[in-house]
Amino acid sequence: MRRLWIAVLVLSLFGCSDGGGQANNYQRGVYLLLDTSGTYTEELVKAKQIINYLLAYLEPGDTFVVARIDSGSFSEKDIVAKVTLDARPSAANRQKREFASTIADFVTNVKSSAYTDISGGLLQAIEYLNEARVGKKHIYIFSDLKEDLPANFKRDFDFTLDGFVVKALNVTKLRSDNVNPVEYLERVADWQARVVQGGGTWGIINDLDRADALAL
Amino acid sequence: MSAIYSAFPTPPWLTTLILFAIAVLLLYMARTSAHGAINSIFRMLHNGLRIGARSVALAEKRLSVRNRDVLLALGRDHAERELNREFFRINRFVERDLGGYPQVQRAIQAQVAQISEDYKASAEVPPPSPDWVQAVESVAKLQVKEKSNSNLTSRILEDIYNAAEDQHRETLKEYREAMTERNNRLRQMAPFWRKLSNTVDQVGKHLQELVTRSNNIDRQMEHFEEINRGTDKAARRLKASNSIQFCVALLFVLFAAGGAFFNFHLIALPMSEMVGAASRVGGVKVADVAALVIIFLEITMGMFLLECLGWTRLFPIIGAMDDKSRVRIAIACGTFLLVLAGVEAGLAFMRDQIAADYSALRASLAGAGSAPEEEAVNAWIPRVTGMFLGFTVPLALTLVAIPLEYLINTGRNIFGMLLEYLLRLLAILLRLAGNVSRHLGHLTLYLYDMLIVLPLWLEGLWLASRRASSGAGGAEFGGPDGNADGGSSFYRGNEVSKNA
Repeated sequence: MRRLWIAVLVLSLFGCSDGGGQANNYQRGVYLLLDTSGTYTEELVKAKQIINYLLAYLEPGDTFVVARIDSGSFSEKDIVAKVTLDARPSAANRQKREFASTIADFVTNVKSSAYTDISGGLLQAIEYLNEARVGKKHIYIFSDLKEDLPANFKRDFDFTLDGFVVKALNVTKLRSDNVNPVEYLERVADWQARVVQGGGTWGIINDLDRADALAL
Repeated sequence: MSAIYSAFPTPPWLTTLILFAIAVLLLYMARTSAHGAINSIFRMLHNGLRIGARSVALAEKRLSVRNRDVLLALGRDHAERELNREFFRINRFVERDLGGYPQVQRAIQAQVAQISEDYKASAEVPPPSPDWVQAVESVAKLQVKEKSNSNLTSRILEDIYNAAEDQHRETLKEYREAMTERNNRLRQMAPFWRKLSNTVDQVGKHLQELVTRSNNIDRQMEHFEEINRGTDKAARRLKASNSIQFCVALLFVLFAAGGAFFNFHLIALPMSEMVGAASRVGGVKVADVAALVIIFLEITMGMFLLECLGWTRLFPIIGAMDDKSRVRIAIACGTFLLVLAGVEAGLAFMRDQIAADYSALRASLAGAGSAPEEEAVNAWIPRVTGMFLGFTVPLALTLVAIPLEYLINTGRNIFGMLLEYLLRLLAILLRLAGNVSRHLGHLTLYLYDMLIVLPLWLEGLWLASRRASSGAGGAEFGGPDGNADGGSSFYRGNEVSKNA
């Protein structure tokens, strides 16, 4: 009888606790895609600030990945740094410092890519966050959203973005956008449509000084 | 609607008129049944609400009696406790102060005996009678006849004078010595008098205090007897006292809740270092749960400690234990409490370290490098303060058991009173709703009859003419029911229908 009570108690405790094989509803996953094509690499200093800001506010248990967008982004090789923060705050702080150092090195030594495979990067982000089993999934795209694919690359598929929040950061206006602003608006609207059709939530943040806009 | 109108060949206004006339006719024909149905519905509603109101009023009365019993029982318990305390105090007073009364009495007797002896010793000794006075008188009566005799007499007298002078001097000296001794005795008596006076004053004060305490006990006994008799005066006084105690206890419990909240924030962060900050139970971080558990453990230990010390009476089983067991439990609880307070002090220190680490991390992420050095100079102030608070707040939280006991004891009665008021209000509302339903029934009957006023008027005319023709006198057509006082009862409609 006593063993039965202990078993019931243990089962009830495990039943209440979050974790195991299921997605943890309270852990957040952030996947930041950095556009490294052409002259956009000059903007990566801003991206570093955003990464540091996000690092400061991520909590133990959260997952943070920074990946680059280059000619073929649907690959784990494009992941610059990734971390799942330790449950202990002191260990998590150590991980954050190492992460920030890795990003600083990357921003210093980054080389421009010839093409811009945003769709591939986004697909990789979806795959990764789904696998990480986090509760809240955020994908930040630090890019001008101008996709430029190599020949024979096919990216005309629909995304499955249920439960994802996708935000485009620092969507700079290109020279051609200045000539014809409709191009910029269409580009943004096209990405918004793809994300919303996929079931995700779309947002765009160009004023990076607004700390509340980046809140997770 | 248009379909109905299209079914008739007549213009819409005429159709409406015809339909209205048919409806009025139908309503007039169904008047008896309709009145009966309306009466039944509203009567049922009225009766139901009235029964409900009566039931609620009865429940309120029962609750009131129950509340009064509980209040009196609580008051009796408090009065008993106060009386016990007063008797304990008076017992201690008697043991401490009046217990030494025999010694005081002996001291007084000794002092009185000493004073008496001194008094006797200081009594005035009469000076010795001058024996030589008679000799002088005899010598003075001698008749001096001869000159030789005259010289002799003169010499004798001179000797006598000298002897008298010497004796007088001696006597005076003795007298003065005796007086000095008397004065010395009297001077020695003075401190004994003062001591005696002080002792008597002290005894008087003790007796006065005893009288005051006795009066206090008399007053409390009177109060206790009033409670026992269950008088209204006692109930009123207890109710007022209960409300005040409840408010005060609630205030103190809220203060304690604030303290617990502060304490929680002091240890929640360092607990995450121990049990992890990522896992959750029911949406709450395990670290937070662990911090709460520690705080609740401290409060529980404090409650047991105060219970064992006899300050509170929340757990009768502890109160029923023998003194030895209670002391053992009190020591165990106190030790555990001190250990937990020490643990909290350590956690507060750890919190300071983690906060400093966070601060340094944010500074480095913001590109400001490490924190300025001058900040580190005074870093010990929040650290020591945090540790001090981490140690003292749990100990202070233990005292929450006292207001909590009052809150629980008085809360029962306060909530009972609130429930009583609510039931009273509900009873009034139900009664009001019952009356409203009754009048709504009347109103509905009037409105019904207003719709069929034309046929009713014709009916009245016909009845009047019939009565006039039969010579029985006419019934005057008054209300819509066809009666002079129509509509004052639910069943008036039936009577009219019978007339109709």
